[in-house]
Amino acid sequence: MWLPIMGLIIGAIIGLLTDIRIPAEYSNYLSIAILAALDTLFGGIRAQLQNIYDEKVFVSGFFFNIVLAASLAFLGVHLGVDLYLAAVFAFGVRLFQNIAVIRRILLTKWSTSSEK
Amino acid sequence: MFSGTTSNGLMESKVRVLGRPSNLSFSMIAAIIGLMVAIQFQTVREPVVRDTRDTWQLREDLMKEKEFQSKLLLEIRSNEEKIAKYETERQQSKEEVLRETLAELKTEAGLTEVTGPGLTLSIVPAFNLVVEGGNPPSVSPDMLKRLLNELNMYGAKQVSVDGERVINTTVIRDINRVTKINGHSLNRFPIEIKVIVENSQVAEKLYNRMKVSSVAEDFFIDNLEVKVNRPESQLAVPAYQDTIRIRHMESVKTDKGGGNG
Repeated sequence: MWLPIMGLIIGAIIGLLTDIRIPAEYSNYLSIAILAALDTLFGGIRAQLQNIYDEKVFVSGFFFNIVLAASLAFLGVHLGVDLYLAAVFAFGVRLFQNIAVIRRILLTKWSTSSEK
Repeated sequence: MFSGTTSNGLMESKVRVLGRPSNLSFSMIAAIIGLMVAIQFQTVREPVVRDTRDTWQLREDLMKEKEFQSKLLLEIRSNEEKIAKYETERQQSKEEVLRETLAELKTEAGLTEVTGPGLTLSIVPAFNLVVEGGNPPSVSPDMLKRLLNELNMYGAKQVSVDGERVINTTVIRDINRVTKINGHSLNRFPIEIKVIVENSQVAEKLYNRMKVSSVAEDFFIDNLEVKVNRPESQLAVPAYQDTIRIRHMESVKTDKGGGNG
């Protein structure tokens, strides 16, 4: 439980300390990639809680989703259509669904453990 | 642990076998996400805290700004100089105009020596008509006035009689039977009258007119002869020597300005 959170904190600290910056025109891609990554992360957590977790699916989904979201945004920029909104919408909806599922599972587990 | 607590021990061990490497990949991916978020955060936040210049860049920028400032100051100074120059020019020009006006007025009043084309007339006694023992001939004021009027009529600009400049206030009168002009006695012959006119053509015309003028005949009655000399291209008429007395005139009082006229 703590290791992923530690990883998140360490990653954030490294990112802040190294002072890495990407050009402002690419920040759109990064934001969509972050959204995809979060979606994958929460999907992974949900899968773990539902005991249907597969590491290959998780890792490949993580990178694939990021690349797909970024390329969708890229395509949208070049077509003049805000395609990244589609990715934002899809990932956002999935994110909320995943979090809702995680919440329900956790609630169920908490109630069953408290009943004991 | 994401595996949670399950009562089934076998299940728990299975999940744990699955969960251990998943924890690692979870952590890795969480770290990547953290990195991405941090980068994005910094990138997005960049416009707010956009001053990332180091000392050298700041120095350079400061230098640039200072150069710009000095350029502006230079411009301001040059403009101010221009303004000052114009101001002085204006003042000087005013003064210049005043000086010019003064000079013009002086010239007009006859306080300066004037040179120009003109001719001279000499009044000499007609010796062949002078009677022995008689009164010496003298120029009567009326005759002289008439002569001067005649000269003025024919375009004389500046006239001097026997070295005395004839101006507007010149008086020609008889004092104790001696004809005087500006207080100068006209009792020595020849009396030379210098006349300056506009140009040589007018001088020529004046010469011709004086040649045939009746004034010469009138002078003849007084046993005097008027000799009209050929026009000269350069003739000098002396300045009026006394100060012009103005008795019934007052200068207009103004706030400022030179009252040196």
